[in-house]
Amino acid sequence: MSLAAIVNLNHPATYVHWHFFDMSVSNIVVIVLMIIVFFAAILLPFPGSRRRSES
Amino acid sequence: MSGGRNWTVRLREAGVRAMPPEKLLPDGQPVYMSSWIYLFGVLTIAALVIIIGSGVILGLKGPAWWHYTGIGHFFNSVHLWAVELFFFFMVIHLWGKFFMVAWRGGRARTWMSGAIAFLIAIPCAFTGYISQQNFDAQWIATQAKDGLNSTGIGAFFNVLNFGQMYTYHVLLLPVIVVTLVAAHILLVRRSGIVPPLPLSELGIGEAASEGVAGSAA
Repeated sequence: MSLAAIVNLNHPATYVHWHFFDMSVSNIVVIVLMIIVFFAAILLPFPGSRRRSES
Repeated sequence: MSGGRNWTVRLREAGVRAMPPEKLLPDGQPVYMSSWIYLFGVLTIAALVIIIGSGVILGLKGPAWWHYTGIGHFFNSVHLWAVELFFFFMVIHLWGKFFMVAWRGGRARTWMSGAIAFLIAIPCAFTGYISQQNFDAQWIATQAKDGLNSTGIGAFFNVLNFGQMYTYHVLLLPVIVVTLVAAHILLVRRSGIVPPLPLSELGIGEAASEGVAGSAA
């Protein structure tokens, strides 16, 4: 197909299976991204917050 | 009749009492909101607006358009990725509010309206996957049929009935989600944004809070 995806999606999903844990790589990537964004949102300084707390 | 205590006056007065204009549209926000974590509620709403807008266009044009034309594919993708972002932002918003114990200070209804909106949004997205009118939709619908039958819900929620699922997806569930989100926002405006937990409640103690105050000065 001419409109190929950046990542080749034309195959069954790849799964990570470990004991009871069974999840597709794409779902794991999304969950890890959410955790990274969550901690970044808490830890990264917000523009103007320092100026406001000093005033 | 003028100045009488008719039902419209009582309704107006009750509305202003419940939602004073200065709370509904405030001049500013508390200083503790200077953190990225407070942005994820409004990001979720922004994604919802794009979902509704792209969904209206998809509904007006129909399945042949979204499957066989370039612009149809584009709006189909916008709709899908807005849903992905909607859940992405909503989950981070949920985590932030959970660890902030955001139901404090009489905000239980705010928390519950958000939690129910999240739960209703899940079947709303699910009925979208089975409304695509392609093999993917057929696969998901037939798999879901067995899953739902095992719960005993039976034919009341018939995932093989496209008309029923499409109605759930474009009308019934979105109306509930949008209504709950609107109620959630009004409750947030009425009670105010939940403040951070006091350091003493976190078990850090006064000495630590003095240290933080000292370092910030």
